[in-house]
Amino acid sequence: MLDAKLNFKLLEMCSRCGACYSICPSCMNIPGYDPRAVIKDILNGEHEKWLSSRHIWECLECHYCLEMCYQHYGFENAMTALRNIAARKGLHPPQVKRGWEMFVKTSRLGEPALPARKKFGLPEPKASGAEEFRKLYALLQERRAAGNKEDKTK
Amino acid sequence: MREFAVFWGCTIQTRFPFIEKSTRLVLESFQLPYRDVDGFTCCPEKSLVNNIDHGAFVLTAARNVALVDELDIDLVSPCTGCVSNLATVKGELNANPREKAEVNSLLKEVGREFKGSSRLQHLVPFFHDAVGIHKIRQKIKRDFTGMRIALHYGCHMIRPSHALKNDDPLNPVKFDNLIRGLGAESLQFSSKLMCCGQGLDRVDEHDRALDFARIKLKELRAIGADALVLCCPSCFLQFDNNQFLMEKEGEKLGIPIIYFTELLGLSLGYSAEELGITNHRIDCSPFLAKWEELSSRPAPSVGIEAGLTGPNVLG
Repeated sequence: MLDAKLNFKLLEMCSRCGACYSICPSCMNIPGYDPRAVIKDILNGEHEKWLSSRHIWECLECHYCLEMCYQHYGFENAMTALRNIAARKGLHPPQVKRGWEMFVKTSRLGEPALPARKKFGLPEPKASGAEEFRKLYALLQERRAAGNKEDKTK
Repeated sequence: MREFAVFWGCTIQTRFPFIEKSTRLVLESFQLPYRDVDGFTCCPEKSLVNNIDHGAFVLTAARNVALVDELDIDLVSPCTGCVSNLATVKGELNANPREKAEVNSLLKEVGREFKGSSRLQHLVPFFHDAVGIHKIRQKIKRDFTGMRIALHYGCHMIRPSHALKNDDPLNPVKFDNLIRGLGAESLQFSSKLMCCGQGLDRVDEHDRALDFARIKLKELRAIGADALVLCCPSCFLQFDNNQFLMEKEGEKLGIPIIYFTELLGLSLGYSAEELGITNHRIDCSPFLAKWEELSSRPAPSVGIEAGLTGPNVLG
């Protein structure tokens, strides 16, 4: 349920284009970062070799490729899919792991700095939605588990 | 004007409460109908949450939008990432009725519904479109004539454009218009629209993040910018904090980083202390000193009569 998917038909077109390469800040400034190589490997069924590469985490998600893309598809979608698979295998950077754990636990990436708020005369922070968020996330996981079971019995 | 909720986001409230301060001061100065809303969570951060679990990303953002939908108000945020993430999910759900129904069947269990009817805007295009440059000019006490300002839009203020629909994603103008409206020169330079690179810091690539910061800061130094103005806490972290870390290693680039709300606040007559500019890691006093000096300089016409003699004398 609610999983990111790749469109191979569009990626086939990507492999013959490369418009994103001319505008991507990572392509311009990080040696060895090349969308065309990644797309070629995905299409050849060899995406696995990128899962442990740090390049897949160097996509800045600035959405430049998406804006340049003639198909309005964007190389970033391929990178997101690779990162999803890598994360499922536990290959994501330690900082991403820590951030995700904090998000799932608290529903935020940090709590309001109370002493500083006082110093600046800022009002009390509003009530957190953490409890409702946790309930909702548990529901999502339950439904996914039920869906997987259903798929297996089919 | 429709009432709107301010979505502060995690980074501003955790690390930069002074940005919340200057934002509140300018919103109040213009008597804008804003309010704080209970129950928001992280937007959530795309590069973190969406990379691990797309479903959690969509569901969390949809819930935040539902809180605003319920109150029948709009949403404005001084954080580019928050607006971009919320708008991306809103666009995705409004375009996919099946996914929207799936999300709503989950939200229903906690008594919420995502309608996707409220307007989600970043503070900069909001000031440009809803407040307007004329109103700003009427209100300000002192402008920035003579100041040379470099702008950093921040990728997520304008992209993805299909979700945000607020400016040209490859050649944006609204932030420039606001800076010019405040009387300053908005410098044009080759790395103007380059991504700040802060994302690299979030994936344990600190040195590369510094490389990205260095490219822009060095160019700004070369063209003699008085400050870098931006309106994104992530970009602020990159250029203020990381520039400071470079400075500590002996690489001093000396570019003051100023948040859009602080710049606007200064022109409205608030002091640097009131706005929290003194809490930045990179010293902003060279910018403030130049501005002070320019405003104490006499107008070009002062004393002109004394120098004129003969038949062309004025008056």
